[in-house]
Amino acid sequence: MSHTAEPNGVKRRQFLKVLGAAGAATTAVGCTNEKVESLIPYLTSPDNTVPGVSTLYTTTCRECATSCGIIAEVRDGRAIKLEGNADHPVNQGALCAKGQSALQGLYNPDRYRGPMVREGGKLVPTTWDKAIDTLVAKLGESRGAAANALFVTGPDSGSFAGFLDGWLGAYGFGAHTQYDPSADLAVESANRAAYGVSMPRLDFAAAKLVISIGADFLDGWGASVPQQLSFADARGRLADGPRVVYIGARRSLTGLNADTWVSCTPGSEEAIASALLTAVGGSGGTIAAAAQASGVTEATLQSIADELRGAATSLVLSGVSTPNAGAVAATCAAINKAKGSVGVTVKPAEAHSGFGGAVGVGGMQEIVDRANAGTLKIAFFRGANPAYDTPKAMGFAAALAKVPFKVSFSSYPDETADLCDLVLPDDHALESWGDAQAAPGVIALQQPVMERIFDTRATADVLIMAAQKDAALASRFAQKTYRDVLVAKYGSGALTAALPKGVISGTIAARTATTTAATAGAMGGTGDFFLVTYPHATLGVGEGANKPWLQELPDPVSKIVWQSWVEIHPMTASRLGIHAGDHVTVTTAAGAITAPAWPYLGIRPDTVAVALGQGHTKYGRYAEGIGVNALDALGATWNAGGGLALTQGKATVAKAAQRSDLVTLEGSARQHGRGIAQAITVADLVAGVKEEHHALPGDASHEFLPGLRSPVANDAQGDLGDPTSKDKGMYDPNHWSGMAKRRWAMTIDLSRCTGCSACVTACYAENNIPTVGARWQGRSLRPFHTSDGAGWDTRPGANILKGREMSWLRIERYFEGGEDGASDFEARFVPMMCQHCGNAPCEPVCPVYATYHAPDGLNVQVYNRCVGTRYCSNGCPYKVRYFNWHGYGESARRQYAFPEPLHLQLNPDVTVRGKGVMEKCTFCVQRIREAENRAKLEQRELQPDEFTTACAQACPSRAIVFGDAADENWSVAKMVNNDRGYHVFNELNTFTAVVYLKKVNHTAPGAAAAAAPAAANGGAH
Amino acid sequence: MTSRSKWALVPSFFAIAIAATILSAYSGASSSQGVSPVQPIKFPHPVHVKTLGMNCLYCHNSANKSTDPGLPAVGTCMGCHTLIGPNRPAVDGQPARTSEEIKKLQTFAPIGQPDKWKAIPWVRIHKLPEYVRFPHMRHVNAGVTCQSCHGPVQDMAQVSQASSLNMGWCLTCHVNGYQLSEGLKPAGDTAGAAAAAAVEPKKARYDCAVCHY
Repeated sequence: MSHTAEPNGVKRRQFLKVLGAAGAATTAVGCTNEKVESLIPYLTSPDNTVPGVSTLYTTTCRECATSCGIIAEVRDGRAIKLEGNADHPVNQGALCAKGQSALQGLYNPDRYRGPMVREGGKLVPTTWDKAIDTLVAKLGESRGAAANALFVTGPDSGSFAGFLDGWLGAYGFGAHTQYDPSADLAVESANRAAYGVSMPRLDFAAAKLVISIGADFLDGWGASVPQQLSFADARGRLADGPRVVYIGARRSLTGLNADTWVSCTPGSEEAIASALLTAVGGSGGTIAAAAQASGVTEATLQSIADELRGAATSLVLSGVSTPNAGAVAATCAAINKAKGSVGVTVKPAEAHSGFGGAVGVGGMQEIVDRANAGTLKIAFFRGANPAYDTPKAMGFAAALAKVPFKVSFSSYPDETADLCDLVLPDDHALESWGDAQAAPGVIALQQPVMERIFDTRATADVLIMAAQKDAALASRFAQKTYRDVLVAKYGSGALTAALPKGVISGTIAARTATTTAATAGAMGGTGDFFLVTYPHATLGVGEGANKPWLQELPDPVSKIVWQSWVEIHPMTASRLGIHAGDHVTVTTAAGAITAPAWPYLGIRPDTVAVALGQGHTKYGRYAEGIGVNALDALGATWNAGGGLALTQGKATVAKAAQRSDLVTLEGSARQHGRGIAQAITVADLVAGVKEEHHALPGDASHEFLPGLRSPVANDAQGDLGDPTSKDKGMYDPNHWSGMAKRRWAMTIDLSRCTGCSACVTACYAENNIPTVGARWQGRSLRPFHTSDGAGWDTRPGANILKGREMSWLRIERYFEGGEDGASDFEARFVPMMCQHCGNAPCEPVCPVYATYHAPDGLNVQVYNRCVGTRYCSNGCPYKVRYFNWHGYGESARRQYAFPEPLHLQLNPDVTVRGKGVMEKCTFCVQRIREAENRAKLEQRELQPDEFTTACAQACPSRAIVFGDAADENWSVAKMVNNDRGYHVFNELNTFTAVVYLKKVNHTAPGAAAAAAPAAANGGAH
Repeated sequence: MTSRSKWALVPSFFAIAIAATILSAYSGASSSQGVSPVQPIKFPHPVHVKTLGMNCLYCHNSANKSTDPGLPAVGTCMGCHTLIGPNRPAVDGQPARTSEEIKKLQTFAPIGQPDKWKAIPWVRIHKLPEYVRFPHMRHVNAGVTCQSCHGPVQDMAQVSQASSLNMGWCLTCHVNGYQLSEGLKPAGDTAGAAAAAAVEPKKARYDCAVCHY
């Protein structure tokens, strides 16, 4: 306490007052920043709304075929946040990053603002009356022959499919085609053959052994959120949970969550699956043949076969992307049947009903053929972008040019709409009515949560309007809007009663994809490397690329943002003289792609991998000019289900001349003995082994007592830290304010966390975090040495390359073992945010008390006090403080992160930070205050677990628990005492409010615990 | 002007600037205290509150249940002013009279034609900086009179900002406690104020993160 020791000296605070006055004098005097603002009242008050209080609407997420239930938080007429609907049978309250980002589709600044028509070769705005007249005229010209028209939509298991076919039939056209480039058609058709449903529910918790042969069930494959909930529940059983084996040439996020990775040659999965089938009593191949084909040792395959044979319950999944995917999927289904898994871990009776109605890329071949034959007169596209997501080799764009009239219902400009003659922009799913089959007998309802923002129309309404202009058809469309169609279907009363729940019982006639049976291709190509492409975990096959939250969300495996990259094994890279960031050209017969290299242990030395999803040419400001489209290197090779084979064979790999720094949010892939991500083996867990450092410096029960925690922490509180002081103010647990009675804290269970990163996007949505990586947001450090000469650094992610990222919450991914590049390695994921230290290194260094420890345990950042010295960021050992280098919240600046209408999403309860201000995780203090206010309003105390933070709410793994650790009735108070609990950097005496629970590793049976990769605790201490 | 005297102006300018800054910083003059903009309709609070006895919450109806006090919808005005038109006959010993302001209101909201209604662009007077969260309902439900912060609105023919709304002003109550008798005085309730003289001042949390986040 240096300043109390010199009573006659100038106190820090007084000094700063003087300094502040002098500083202010040098600025202009007497200026005012008061702007005249209008207060615009409602014309008539809407019922049941209170200004400043959110209204919640249930609806259905339409970002993928899973149809999760969501609750849209609407404040004063604007949807500001999406959360999972806890009562929904599919997602039980969780929501993935893609679902969270639906808001950035709704508020996308590049959305069409009204209908467009092609005039003089360009799309120009028109009116709805004229647009519909044009549509009616063209329909009149081509009607009557089924082959004249083709209507392509995205996957839709709702009533719209039947309605659309009725509309098409009225004009004499054939049924529509649903197109889902990310659907795993090989697996869906094998599932239909084996289980009778396209996508059975998977119960990981019922399994003792999970073998995934390329099935990336945590990367967006299948019904993402329910699979993740089930997987996390299974892992949450700790010692009773399943052991997970991943077989594949590339270790995906799912692979990184597995306990063992078996790295096999692409295309050899069929032989391995066949050998496993033999092992469980079926008639398949031999281990020797599988070893021969896959390059995996016989001993390894034998141990897996033995394990599978011995496992009480098992789940074997296939999701390979090679042309023989259908055979692998059928073999895996046969294994599950032989093991008696059907009804135990594979549950056809509880199938995910949204799947099975769509065709894949192969289905688009039909359009190409019909267009080239000249029979197709009119084509419609809604929620599908085949001009981007089909391989160039198919010649889709050229074929489409031969169709006389093309109509797009896309909400956003995309590569397909750009080729169309008429654009009739659809309402966003959050602005329109609909339904979807979520589960057998359960229909999820979709309702508009707000008024439409732009001059758009729901496609179904447009179709009705067109039909009603036709005297012969008008009588067949009695209802004027699609809403009325749904009301007529469900009944007004039943619909009104069901909407608050978001689901209604019933069954919509299922469609089965109308693709012609494809002949599976074969692996081919020449070169030294296999090329594996895969859907990006969050951008998918490209549909997410126009949303800045998803562009700035680090890929869960590589941690790379705003960029494409080529994954290459480190040993291969060094052999070829390739370093991280060096451009690599991958060439196949179909074409070549060039992207920077990212050396990755999780890929075979004879394989390179590239994610799909980037390389857009017409998809709005956030997508264009970012990365490459990996489909450019793929030919038209199908699997048995008619899906595009994403792994088609060999390619040549060559180092290119250029290099680009990798835009990554990763500091280091290794823990260097810091013990950040700790783990324990099942054997140690059962035996109750504790590491010595666990007991330092105090046990958790002591650390979460209310009030101040350590003498050092007192330093940040000025006079309150004086041991002789009687007045501890609000820091006294007995203070009248009662603030110090609470200690907000969080536990994160690493045995459940899969690294999916849904929490990160939820945090961006809740806390108005700007995205900073767009091409126009980077200032050059050397203003006149840039390519544009004007001081702008126009590389994607330029700010992030300079370490100026903004993510309050990041998922750190660490590798353990495998340093030799040959042996298996382990991955650990750690969500890292402000640890709200009881004794925070950031606090005493702040010269203006902008950061301090609040009595209720929060480490607070006061934006209006902050002067931007960044000392706190220097002091923070967790690197969780982020600085506003530019005015991301100021609309006049080029770096503005919320261009109209994205700013409508901003949470009004959270300050939009200004330039020069430090910011960080607040533990969602706005939610704490809101809950306190609500409790006070209802004249009661806060109830345990009454509310939670945005990250914990979204988490599809239920890994995060938040609450008051000083009150034993909150769940978190019990969790902090868990035997697996530890603080990151405990040795720094930071007394953090975040307790991590160690990951649990399931080592292979028979393997000695000592043989597990590295020391189980991450080599800490 | 000689070159010497020109150079003498520089330090004197700085001296004046420093003095003005210090004065303004410590006088509260940086706030908008006292501003009283002309509104699109001269809504007379005194008539509605004092003459007619309407409660503040009739129009600002979420002040006791939301952070946002609420501004009356045009429909709320027209709930009464559909019947109470601009022309008042001579009744109750009062002469006949025409109200220009009710005429204006009815141009914003023509009777019987709700589809032609337009919003009234009221000019905002009380505005806290965007880094401050002010939950109205916590204050109203704690018994803080509206006039404690907004001044005697019931007497203001044209509303002006009565308080500085500076942080120091907030903290006077949060730290020392809110004296109900002091809050009742600007509300014009002298009897209530006298009766409340002995009421214990009510304190409130003054931690930064209660309001700043």
